[in-house]
Parts: sequence; C-alpha cells; structure tokens
Amino acid sequence: MKPLEGKLALVTGSGRGIGKAIALKFASQGCDIIVNYFRRREAAEQTCEELKQFGVKTDIVKANVGDPDKINELFDTIAERHGHLDIFISNAASGVGRPIMEIDSKAWDWTLNINAKAMLLCSQRAAGLMEGRQGKIVSISSLGSTFVWPTYAAVGVSKAALEAVTRYLAIEFAPKGISVNAVSASAVATEALKFYMKEGLVKDMSSTTPVGRMVTPEDVANAVAFLVSDEAYMIRGQTIIVDGGTSIALVPPVTEKSENK
Amino acid sequence: MSVEEQVKDIVSKIAHIDKEIMSRDSTFKEMKADSLDIVQALVAIEEQFDIEIPDEEAQKFRNFGDFVAFVEQEVAKKG
Repeated sequence: MKPLEGKLALVTGSGRGIGKAIALKFASQGCDIIVNYFRRREAAEQTCEELKQFGVKTDIVKANVGDPDKINELFDTIAERHGHLDIFISNAASGVGRPIMEIDSKAWDWTLNINAKAMLLCSQRAAGLMEGRQGKIVSISSLGSTFVWPTYAAVGVSKAALEAVTRYLAIEFAPKGISVNAVSASAVATEALKFYMKEGLVKDMSSTTPVGRMVTPEDVANAVAFLVSDEAYMIRGQTIIVDGGTSIALVPPVTEKSENK
Repeated sequence: MSVEEQVKDIVSKIAHIDKEIMSRDSTFKEMKADSLDIVQALVAIEEQFDIEIPDEEAQKFRNFGDFVAFVEQEVAKKG
C-alpha cells in the first residue's frame, strides 16, 4: 500500500510550479488531490491529467485565496463534494516587488492577504474537515522571511507572518491531532523564475549554492512529503529550510566559475 | 452597458481613475495605473466576464484600447 493511499489533499496554487510538484509527489504516493488555481484553468487541467497517471482521483476548484469570501466558497465546495480533508498545503503566493518606500497600503494588503492571511483562514476551515483524521498542514515559505533581498520587503514580511501563523497553529491544533509545519526555500527554479532569469531580473544562483545547483520544485515537494508522513509526527511548528546550504554559507562557495573570474 | 463601459467601470474603481480621462488611446502610465492596479483589474474582469486573460497577452497591451479589444474578442468567442 502506498503511504498516502486513501488520503485527500488540497494544494493551493497547484496548476504550476511548486504546487504542481507537491501534487505530483503526493499522487505518486497514492493521494487523491484537489487542485486549486486562481487564474489559469488550462494549467490546472493539465496538472490533473498528469496526476491521473498515478491512478488517483482529482478535483479542480478555482479560488483566489486572497479573498476571504472565496476561501469560504472553496471550503464549502470541498465539504459538499468530499466531506473531509486529510492534508492541506498552503502554497499559493503572490506579491508586489518594490523598494520599501514604494510599498503602499494596497500593495501591502494584496501581498499579506494571499501569503499570510490565507494560511490562517484556510487552516481554520481545513481543521473542521480534518476532525478525527490526524490532519497535516504545511505552508510554503521563503528565505525572504529572515533574510533581505532587494524589492522583497512586502513578500518577506508576509512570509515571516506565515511562519509565525504556522507556529501558533501547530500548538493550538496539536490537541486536535493536526500537525502544522512550514517548508522554506531559497529561489526555486520554476518556470516563473526562469522567465525572470531570462529577462535579467534574477541571477542564476547555481554557482552561489553550496551544492552547485538551484533548488527545484521537486526538492521542496520531497520535504513537504516528509512532513505529511507519519515519520514526521513529532515535528511541530517548524520551518524546514530547503536551500542547498545557501542560507548558512556566510561566504558563497568558490566554484570553477568564480575562480576563473 | 457595453463591454467597454463595464471594463472602464472596473478599471476606474480599482485604480481610482476618473473615467473622464480614460480613452482607448490612454496608456496605463498616463492613467497612473501601477502594475498591481493592472493585475487586480485583470482578475476582476476575468471574474466579471468569465474569461481568461493570459499574462503574456496582457503584456502586449499598448493602451486601454488594446485591453478593451482583447476583452471584447474573448466575450464574443463565448457568444
């Protein structure tokens, strides 16, 4: 029997990128998946097609998790169609990249609502569907919660809030039998990031990552899969960093590339 | 209300732009709409008309007229 057989997971923002990789990883372990998307239905449908190759059941629900009313609609739909939930992954994210003096109230709210408030509101609703099921919740954060990147202030703060919400949920949900943790990654080589690299807005970080390559969506998915496994039972409220060592290497490693400079 | 009027209504409310200064020739910069205003307008319009506006298409809009024309085209496709 596969480890997640008979389980049902909701992965927000799973039409592409990290969310899709998590959905595929879970499906490979036998988990049924609810794919949530915001704007690209075609991508969500494509994800479902790929998930079905693992023989699991899939469902698609559209929702902007930055809007509390849409969150309620999302969970009302899940309650009506499925009646329960075993795993909730708070992955959907957005953000406004601006220097701190240019962040206005609207940009702040947009970023904080999608990246942090959604984790709180979705988890409250998810908990109701997890009663007696040993539920698992994992949020997806980024190193910007602790470290400073140019124009990343709003997102960085939202991720710090996300990690704090994760810790509080972990303690308050523990008596309910629900485990809550976070996975934090450095820049992940998604299609979106490749686009920014091509445009020259983001540098390829392979040479400054101690293991010599960038983090992939699958690396993040592997950590998430561990956190929802029984082996991670005693890990609560933690933020597991997946960055190939980048955040603890005070001086970037010397690579062949940099030696040649 | 025409598609153009509805789009104008949504964009003016989201980006706090006076409808009087919005014409098909106006660029988003001239209307002082920032990138977040545009994203929020795209989301609201997709919701209103039940259509999708791919980001790759949105990046091609030179002015408000291009935006409206794309929405009109997608609405017409839906019949």
